[in-house]
Amino acid sequence: MRNLLILFSIFFSFSTLQASEVSEWFEKESSQFLEIINNNEGTESENYEKYKYFINKNFAIKSIAYGLIGENIIDSSSKGELTLYLDVFSDYLIKTIYKLANSNSSSSIILKDVDIKDNIYIIRSKISNKKSSVNLYWKVIDTGSSFKIIDVIVENTSYFVTKKSEFNKILRKNRGSLEALISEIKKI
Amino acid sequence: MKTYLKVILFLISVTYLQISNSYSNEDTSISGISYDEIYDPIEPINRAVLNFNFFIDDIAIRPIVKTYKFIAPEPVEKGVSNFFSNLKEPIRTVSFIFQGEFYKSFNSVGRFTINTLTSLGTFDLASRVGMEKNETDFGITLAKGGISSGPYIVIPIIGPSNLRDFSGDVVEYFVDPISNNVPNREYIAIGNGLNERIELDEQLDKVRDASSDRYEMIKSIYYQNRNAQLEEEYIQNLPVPKIYIE
Repeated sequence: MRNLLILFSIFFSFSTLQASEVSEWFEKESSQFLEIINNNEGTESENYEKYKYFINKNFAIKSIAYGLIGENIIDSSSKGELTLYLDVFSDYLIKTIYKLANSNSSSSIILKDVDIKDNIYIIRSKISNKKSSVNLYWKVIDTGSSFKIIDVIVENTSYFVTKKSEFNKILRKNRGSLEALISEIKKI
Repeated sequence: MKTYLKVILFLISVTYLQISNSYSNEDTSISGISYDEIYDPIEPINRAVLNFNFFIDDIAIRPIVKTYKFIAPEPVEKGVSNFFSNLKEPIRTVSFIFQGEFYKSFNSVGRFTINTLTSLGTFDLASRVGMEKNETDFGITLAKGGISSGPYIVIPIIGPSNLRDFSGDVVEYFVDPISNNVPNREYIAIGNGLNERIELDEQLDKVRDASSDRYEMIKSIYYQNRNAQLEEEYIQNLPVPKIYIE
């Protein structure tokens, strides 16, 4: 019984430590994100480069990209096609986040709480500007060396789920052709 | 006679929804929705209606909304939004009763009474005293009753829906205690529609150019938002990608 209690307390303190680590990471990165959003001084291309750096550093791009097309397409595509897709998707992700974030000016991101389910951290935050505030959820994984974002949910709309519907539609329309998907997403 | 018509309409819609369930290819969660395969048998028609809606929006509704947002000060905009939201409290009360959510039903009655008496609904005092707004409608009542969403449909002018939610809207229109007891209920319906469009303005602007297929994007967003109203642990249960080592 005593051993069980010790095990339980070790597990509990470990989870708390992990939650505090992810909170610390989030506070740091979200303030950097706010700085990028609110930066009106640099040129458009300079700002775009900052988004690019931020997204490459903090997003699990490969997991999101592969998750959006599914394993059947991954298995049936060549290594070259997948590498090209990954490059194009990386640009696409930066552009879509840039477009979504750039149309807003936000004054704060407040961390509300951190939950963990199936080794995925769910960070609940609130992003506000002068007019309004919205709930922003971040699904984050611990890769061992850093934390990486696998999904962003604005109010109830998940980036991953929305893009998966769009990508599936394109793939179905083109009989699973990754090439067709690549050329579609290049248009954005 | 009018009551009979209402009952018949309700029964027809429920019966049709139950039949449609048998050929729907959705998962069987409470919301009945698989995000990858939303049941959409009349997609070409829906796409045409969506394009029509965007056309009407571009030439008529959007300019009105933009002008209103430019002219109206923030408190006025908020007050108008609160006013139309308050008018829905009685129908929310009825919906919650059907869902067996009696506490929320009483909460809606309390909110309506406080907000109407203090500001005709333009100021949400009830929230300030701890009576938070709970969103619901007849579509959700039908979903909680186990009725499948049926096919996805885009309604002219109104926008995305599905057969269940649209039937819920029709039932609401006929049983809503407010709009049934005021003259010129059409004006309230139009005002409410415009108010909802104003509230969605920013999101719609983003949808216009942040997607390779805005039809799919709107459909997905519609179902995600409806699911969020139905599932307790919606955020936790959303699908996530398989993790690949970067």
